[in-house]
Amino acid sequence: MNKNFQLIQINLLRLILTLVIIFFVLTLFGTSPISVFDSIIYGSMGSYSKLIRTLIVWAPISMASIALIYTFSAGMWNIGIEGQIIMGAVGATLIARSFLGDTFISPYIQILFALGFGGFWGLLCGFLKVKGNVHEIFSGLGLDFVASGIVIYLIIGPWKREGIASTSGTDVFDKASWIPTIGQNEFPLLLIFIIFILYIFSFFVLKYTSFGLRLKATGINEEATERFYFSSSKYILLSFFIAGAIAGLAGFSQASGAYHKLVPSISGGFGFLSILIVLICSRNIFFTLVISFLFSALIVGGSQLQIKLGLDHSLIGIIQATFVLSWLILEKLKLEKLLLKKIIRSNE
Amino acid sequence: MKIEIKNISKTFGDLIANSEINISIDDGIHALLGENGAGKSTLVKIISGQISPDKGKILIDGKNLILGSPVESINNGVGLLNQDPLDFGNLSVLETFLVGIKEKNPYRNLSQTKDKILSLFEKYKINIDFAQKTNSLSIGERQQIELLRLLYNGAKLIILDEPTSAFSLEQKKMMFDTLRSLTEEGIIIIFVSHKLDEVIELCDSGTILKSGSVIHSITKPFDSQDIIDKMFENSSSKIINDQEFSNDRNFNILVSDSDFLERSNNHLENKFPFGSVIGVAGLQGSSNDSYIKNFFTNEFSDTKLILDSNASISKKTYYYMPSDRIEKGLFSDLNVLEHFGLFKSSDSKFLSWNKIKEIASNKINQFNIRAKFSNEVSELSGGNQQRLMLSLMPENQSILLLEQPTRGLDFNSAQNIWEMILSRKSKDIAILFSSTDIDEIWDYSDIVISVSGKFIVNIDYKKKLSKEKIINYVSGIL
Repeated sequence: MNKNFQLIQINLLRLILTLVIIFFVLTLFGTSPISVFDSIIYGSMGSYSKLIRTLIVWAPISMASIALIYTFSAGMWNIGIEGQIIMGAVGATLIARSFLGDTFISPYIQILFALGFGGFWGLLCGFLKVKGNVHEIFSGLGLDFVASGIVIYLIIGPWKREGIASTSGTDVFDKASWIPTIGQNEFPLLLIFIIFILYIFSFFVLKYTSFGLRLKATGINEEATERFYFSSSKYILLSFFIAGAIAGLAGFSQASGAYHKLVPSISGGFGFLSILIVLICSRNIFFTLVISFLFSALIVGGSQLQIKLGLDHSLIGIIQATFVLSWLILEKLKLEKLLLKKIIRSNE
Repeated sequence: MKIEIKNISKTFGDLIANSEINISIDDGIHALLGENGAGKSTLVKIISGQISPDKGKILIDGKNLILGSPVESINNGVGLLNQDPLDFGNLSVLETFLVGIKEKNPYRNLSQTKDKILSLFEKYKINIDFAQKTNSLSIGERQQIELLRLLYNGAKLIILDEPTSAFSLEQKKMMFDTLRSLTEEGIIIIFVSHKLDEVIELCDSGTILKSGSVIHSITKPFDSQDIIDKMFENSSSKIINDQEFSNDRNFNILVSDSDFLERSNNHLENKFPFGSVIGVAGLQGSSNDSYIKNFFTNEFSDTKLILDSNASISKKTYYYMPSDRIEKGLFSDLNVLEHFGLFKSSDSKFLSWNKIKEIASNKINQFNIRAKFSNEVSELSGGNQQRLMLSLMPENQSILLLEQPTRGLDFNSAQNIWEMILSRKSKDIAILFSSTDIDEIWDYSDIVISVSGKFIVNIDYKKKLSKEKIINYVSGIL
């Protein structure tokens, strides 16, 4: 049987089993799983405008997930992804607040700055790893805190709103600096286009270029890379730069697409969420696309729970956690493989 | 005690590791023989419960053993002594022992337990201080403690997976005595080894595996030539490297002053023709491997190779093959095809998998690698890993740096590897290899560098040396 086809079958089966477990957990909480799912689906995809809200959440999550595929391939735990998203947002805000802020080229210059700021923040992590032998988890976590600090400083300091110093964010950007949208419901065509290009590009890079293969090799055995005449340090640095740059784009999407200003919690925790997504998807780029959409729907649809069902918002966190845990457990147990074998046998 | 192995089969992907294996052992010491990749380790892992077979069963005293669970195997009296001692170097001998014994809380009746352990040590005449740290003991002593721990836990069937590779002669004798006395108590021993002399000395019966199947059962008295014939049914005769070569291009090996043991002893003629095979001889634990690696990394010393023409040598001229294949040489989670992709990755920015497949299938044929494209290299046997590394040699004129190219390989695989290496003589600048086996050095080298400890003792043409001289040099006798 085709290996890819089998992989898709296994993952589908795993998805169904995971949903069954979530059903069970929700029942334990005394809620009706059907109505919870119903309100999540309705809340995230029930109408065109709701779908667009979901897409706006999906954009940064899927971007951060692609970013992480690069660093994971090189064997690096890029915990610093949150900081890279934040710095990308700072880069975008810098342009939005500059003399370019009211010109139509603003979003495009913002993209460049977000790439640069995020990439630089990623490179810091890479340098500390390669030159200073600092484990990327520690430097990443540290740089996350530094980035948060910078944002808060900017918001209550140089970029504070006229007359007030509050942590509720900067002034709203000039409309020209918002990510261009189409139609009355503001379909974020540019964002979707960027994601589309990123996915195709990354798929190609990881599968059909020497760079992609060497990145993977670096992640498995740094010591053996020299024998194949390339330096693992170079590939680790590159992976951090690329990951940081793409994460920076996620920050741009948050600042100029979702909030239209810089807020303290600009990353929305989407970086950490993306780490879970990429782990679930075992670095498979297309599963990442699907799973990150599921999580976005969960986040957007979940905000309806309280209004519609009077349930606490934290239920969404429980659903997310149950999803990740049961997925990883199922993966270890390889239950689906057994099930699949049985299904195939009974069909014969 | 009786163990019956029935129809055990196991495949890894497309690789058949064990196929319909049937062995029955009633008593004594049973040898498990076979080339690298014959399926010995897989069978051992199945018996000890580390992996579960695809089919088949194992009966212990007629009782069905639940397969794939180490705990089940241990509870049914199976004890495995690994190649390297799996103990805790930082703990004392007693603590190491206590960690692994059957009592759930060994500290409850410590003095009683201690007495029991002590009497076991005495019974087998093993004299080791309990308070000593484990890592201050020799490998042989640590293995003996492991063996006693297995006995303490009630092992009735003990599997030794090439246990003697790091033993001194004396330790080996002690170990063999202990093993023999164990069989008198009715304990069955399965002895996995490459070393025929040990098998003949120690074992009562044996099984020869080849390509995952049982091909012969043998019993005492053994005939060593017969066993070799059976193990290598189509083995070629030994190739000896005495091909005369003439080449007007030369290279030099510049030995740094600080690397010589004694300046006065330096008789070397250091101009060698292209295509020379240079053996770097040294005892286990000497720096001979480091010298090989140093030509590639220049981290260990200033000794280097230069061309007569004084042309500089690019890094890509060197092909370095470490002795630790999986840890340092290959990428365990990449498959065979991806390795060929890496091999081609410096030629172009983009990978054409069709072209790589073509190259890979040629190389796999040429180098006789028994693997499929989709096999991850960690699934391959040592010999196949080594042949894969050789197949990834650059095609143009190179300097090959081979660290112990036949380490851990059986006779047949080693011969095979050497044929491949020597076929590069007419093409390459130099072929340098390290070995602790003086016979190997003697058979294949044109020039011998003798290393004793950290230092180079002597460099000379083989024809001006004798085996005895080399042995003296590597032992530090000048």
